[in-house]
Amino acid sequence: MAREQRSERGSYRRYFPPKRKFCRFCQRNLKEIDYKNVDILRKYILERGKISPRRITGTCAYHQRRLAAAIKRARILALLPFIEDSR
Amino acid sequence: MTQYETAFLISPNLEEEETEKVITRMAEVISEKKGKMINEDRWGKRRLAYPIKKFEEAFYVFFHYEGDSEIPLELERRFKQTEEVLRYLTMKKTQKENVRRKKKTVPTEQERAVPPKEEVPETEVAETEALDKKGVEETQAVKKEEAVAAEEAEKNEEVTKKEEAAEEKEKVKEGETAEKKEDAQEDVVPPEEGKEK
Repeated sequence: MAREQRSERGSYRRYFPPKRKFCRFCQRNLKEIDYKNVDILRKYILERGKISPRRITGTCAYHQRRLAAAIKRARILALLPFIEDSR
Repeated sequence: MTQYETAFLISPNLEEEETEKVITRMAEVISEKKGKMINEDRWGKRRLAYPIKKFEEAFYVFFHYEGDSEIPLELERRFKQTEEVLRYLTMKKTQKENVRRKKKTVPTEQERAVPPKEEVPETEVAETEALDKKGVEETQAVKKEEAVAAEEAEKNEEVTKKEEAAEEKEKVKEGETAEKKEDAQEDVVPPEEGKEK
């Protein structure tokens, strides 16, 4: 597999080969993502309140689009923060 | 007729009766304009993620309704007028049926074992239109996580109905597909339960 070949390059990658990521929405066979479901959305924002990139979560393009829209809606209703102050 | 979902936040310093009054006043708009309220959801007072007008919490209300586009317009006009409404958001609820085919989903072992599943709905395109409408009404009521399972259940019914009407010779197939879809449904359930982890 391509991933294994790539891991030969860096020494870090050799010792910690990346785990296979997958889209958790596809796995559950969900089509739409609801902005009211704050518990799920919270898993996809970083501690500063940013939307997690796909390369970290492994979400597929289709669901990442819906996810981003859902998070933005939730932000308008103050269900999620726009920015989280770490003070 | 389109389905809409409107959410709004009411300021927390009102008495219970007053908040009740605001909500009923907004709900009246829908009945006046001959819309149909499908679901009214109240979360009660909830902490805000950030302060709005110096309030740290607010009363959450969700209207899910069906009707003409005048209703959300009128609602939003009223929201702007009433100061107690801190924030509102209206969304169109569109139900696109199977825009995305099964192929793209992560294939689990059980799904691989059931490849001929897609063939049945595709052959009867004409009838699915009428049935889609039915699906929209019903699935809206069901919660998000259950929606997928419910749709599949409906499809089972649809498939069986159609095939009964079409030909008796199809009965053998019908039995097979029905069984397969049941299997598929069971596949969907366990990951849903596991997702909380």
